[in-house]
Amino acid sequence: MLKRLEEKDFLCLLERIAERWQLLVPQRMSDGSRLLLPWQGGLPVLAGPPLQRKPTEVFFPQLELLLELDDAGGVALPNPPEKPPALLGLDHLDLAGIAFLDRFFLSPPTDDAYLRRRRGALLVGVSGLAGAQGETLPPLEGECDLELILAPDGLLAHPHTARGTELLEGFAEAAPDKLAALDRNATELLPEILLKAARLLQEERVPEDFWEEIAARCIACGGCNFACPTCSCFGVQDRTFGKRTERSRLWDSCQLDAFMREASGHNPLGTETLRTRRRIYHKLVADPLRWGEPGCVACGRCDRACPTGIGMFALCEELVRTCDRHGS
Amino acid sequence: MKATLTTCPYCGTGCNLYLLGDERGQLYGVEPVAGHPVSRGQLCLKGWNAHAFVAHPERLTHPLLRRQGKLRPCDWETALDLVHCRLAAIAERHGPDSLMFLASAKASNEENYLLMKLARAGFGTNNVDHCARLCHSSTVFGLAETLGSGAMTNSLNCFERTDLVLVIGSNTTEQHPLIGSRILQARQRGAGLIVIDGRTIRLARHADLHLRPQNGTDVALLCGMMRQILADGLEDRAFIAARCENFAAFEASLRDYTPERVAAITGVPAQQLVDAARRFACADKAMIVFAMGITQHSHGVDNVRALSNLALLTGNIGRPGTGLNPLRGQNNVQGACDMGALPDVYSGYQKVSDPAAREKFSAAWGVPLPDRPGLMATHAMEAAAAGRVRGMLIMGENPLLSEANQGLVRQALQKLEFLAVIDIFPTETAQLADVVLPAACYAERDGSFTSTERRVQRGRQAIAPPGEARADWQILCALLGRCGVPAGYAGPGEIMAEIAALTPSYAGISYPRLEGTGLQWPCPDAEHPGTPILHVGRCSRGKARFSPVAYRPAVETPDADYPFLLNTGRTGVHWHTGSMTRRSHLLDREEREPYVEIHPADAARYQLEERRPVRISSRRGSIEARTRITDRVPAGQLFIPFHFVEGAANALTNNALDPESGIPEFKVCAVRLQPC
Repeated sequence: MLKRLEEKDFLCLLERIAERWQLLVPQRMSDGSRLLLPWQGGLPVLAGPPLQRKPTEVFFPQLELLLELDDAGGVALPNPPEKPPALLGLDHLDLAGIAFLDRFFLSPPTDDAYLRRRRGALLVGVSGLAGAQGETLPPLEGECDLELILAPDGLLAHPHTARGTELLEGFAEAAPDKLAALDRNATELLPEILLKAARLLQEERVPEDFWEEIAARCIACGGCNFACPTCSCFGVQDRTFGKRTERSRLWDSCQLDAFMREASGHNPLGTETLRTRRRIYHKLVADPLRWGEPGCVACGRCDRACPTGIGMFALCEELVRTCDRHGS
Repeated sequence: MKATLTTCPYCGTGCNLYLLGDERGQLYGVEPVAGHPVSRGQLCLKGWNAHAFVAHPERLTHPLLRRQGKLRPCDWETALDLVHCRLAAIAERHGPDSLMFLASAKASNEENYLLMKLARAGFGTNNVDHCARLCHSSTVFGLAETLGSGAMTNSLNCFERTDLVLVIGSNTTEQHPLIGSRILQARQRGAGLIVIDGRTIRLARHADLHLRPQNGTDVALLCGMMRQILADGLEDRAFIAARCENFAAFEASLRDYTPERVAAITGVPAQQLVDAARRFACADKAMIVFAMGITQHSHGVDNVRALSNLALLTGNIGRPGTGLNPLRGQNNVQGACDMGALPDVYSGYQKVSDPAAREKFSAAWGVPLPDRPGLMATHAMEAAAAGRVRGMLIMGENPLLSEANQGLVRQALQKLEFLAVIDIFPTETAQLADVVLPAACYAERDGSFTSTERRVQRGRQAIAPPGEARADWQILCALLGRCGVPAGYAGPGEIMAEIAALTPSYAGISYPRLEGTGLQWPCPDAEHPGTPILHVGRCSRGKARFSPVAYRPAVETPDADYPFLLNTGRTGVHWHTGSMTRRSHLLDREEREPYVEIHPADAARYQLEERRPVRISSRRGSIEARTRITDRVPAGQLFIPFHFVEGAANALTNNALDPESGIPEFKVCAVRLQPC
């Protein structure tokens, strides 16, 4: 049921959430970007550029303690957080990224570390007039517990789960026509250019020298992977502090030479060309085969993070242009 | 969870990042700053991993004192008293110039300022220097002579407006990746690119022209290009007439550098040289980008002079999209120079030999100051080996791996009567010390850093230092106090206020003004917006000076006994002596062991396969490394990165020094190779 939230209601909702969850909300940083950070009171910045850091990092952080070992052979798991996290201000692409990682890490065999952080988490999405330039973000369809909708004349809220309904209890109802001024049509997740590129890849119509040309521009920063909400690869490190050893995992990048290098020195992905091609194939060909959906939610983060302009969108545009040229 | 805005600790590009901390007060990640003019939401691999070494178990957490040959924990008061007493006693007995102080391009402006103040006001010596001696001392000397300022003339956003980039002696995409990416972007929008490098660096793949001169022959190559520009009448006559002096002598000096003679010296085909000269001279706006390939030679200053001549000849100074752009290697090597952590100048390059400058600093610090320039770091090692320098304080440097001729450096450090080291890890140098003081790393203290484009920016504390570690500025204040020099600064902001009061180029810089995206010096007053481009309209020295140079070969070239030319440098994933990157999991995994690049023809001649352990020896030392067979290096040349203690390239390198800048010839020495 659609609710209307005055400012005091919204603050009340935030307090309700913060009682049971560790509430993370978008905050405006001094450089103008927005990051999800613990709520310190006050109103979060719901509208603006996409969250700078991928929200999936809350469940799969860049560096994460997995367990501790003592020299007597004892194993201790990290203490669970006092409260599960609540992520507020997620757009449809953020939620798609979380859904993708959920499926990856929670499909059997379940990843315990991911589950530890994910269990009980609350997802609060945002739609309506929340774009960077006030543009309309598409509606959310059940991927979150609760949807905040920025309408022209105020903030609306729509629950998608029982928890969402409970959190909205007591707030004033809004007439459904409050949504009438908003474009509430769902959009296709993948833009046409990515779909077209995916088809060309699936049909193996991309010339080899295309990949060489693209890979020559890669500076192996790993940014495309680190920024990507669906990238799930990690490495493991052990660090020994006297009698205690910490085992952690950390984000890895398939664009690095040692990602698949074997102890012998043999490397199945031993050139930039192979690695670049694999990154795109994985997202646009292998993932659809395995999961029925591409491993790209078209959030644009890799394009923004890539210093040399070979993120997913830029690359796919060049790929389509190249294939058109070859085909004509 | 907390996000702290700060400046990247690695190269001199000046990227800003958020350090992300968890509820335990530990760093767990890094996010690039989207709204920053340099990082623009992007980082290189080292930047993305800038948090990774901070909580490493080998961090130093207590002061250490050598007792019965072993470094053992002690309390701060004991350690600080001992450092002061021992250095003071040596100065008392043998004179202040028997001490040497090494500052750090990893420390903040404020810390470098305090260290040079400690050397000069605390102990009465100008013997203070830092690792700029090993990287861009040739630039500072050469450009100061020709233009009046030794810094990068232009800004990084100039890559967006240039017509052509000439990259010489800079592996930009690996060593300054975010600057390398600007060059690639310029290329994408149609700007020209000339790469001059003996190795086929990645940038060479994108170049219109890639010239591969033999290492050590750049002066001949550049003189040849300039002679050709004059022969073709492509020089900028108006600029030369209006802005420059000494042109006639310069023009006369080029006479002998015909394309054919230059080809014989450099190995670059004459036609390539002519093409490069014409392309460069025909560009309306051309940027020259250079780094260690130019500076680290026994004629490094001449190399820089030649580049300066080339820019002046074609009028590529003082305009957007042009300029001489030395890429500074460390995040504060520009600042450490600016702060006077050099033997001949106070902050802002005010000469110690200038009575007016000396009087100003003497009055501000309340002590008389020495008037004779001190020892360069490289000369100090020679002096220590000879017993003339007897006490040394090293802050955040690891000369045992970074200086040329490791054997000599080891001998020098071991011979010292007293060595104190301030550092964050037990480096190879720290292990030779009598006292080790544990420092806070960049993520654990406040300060400011000056990037390669002269952008002064804030570094901010994100987490507490480990154990009893303290910020370098706090350690230096404690030592200043023991020397009787008041140092009751509440924090780095107050130190910056003192710097600004004494340093004209920083006079308008204050912590409140650094809250945005920093300020580019010169910034002479509190309203000044900073200076993105130097030498607009007139050069810092007035008229720019053409400085004639003559080619002379490297000091040690291959011969029958040592038939290979050894080139040294860095890889993209490691940082200098590896104290931080080799303790960062992803970076260390990428390159785990010393290697030597060898050309396939040479490998075939020695019957070597990939990853084969080999022994490489020079007249100074011998190391082991594994082969990496690649045509990145020309035949007859080997390349070894200097990060690895297990195969220290600097055990081999030659400490033949440039007579003016004191920089060693890291880029050329003669070695032989044997299968292990």
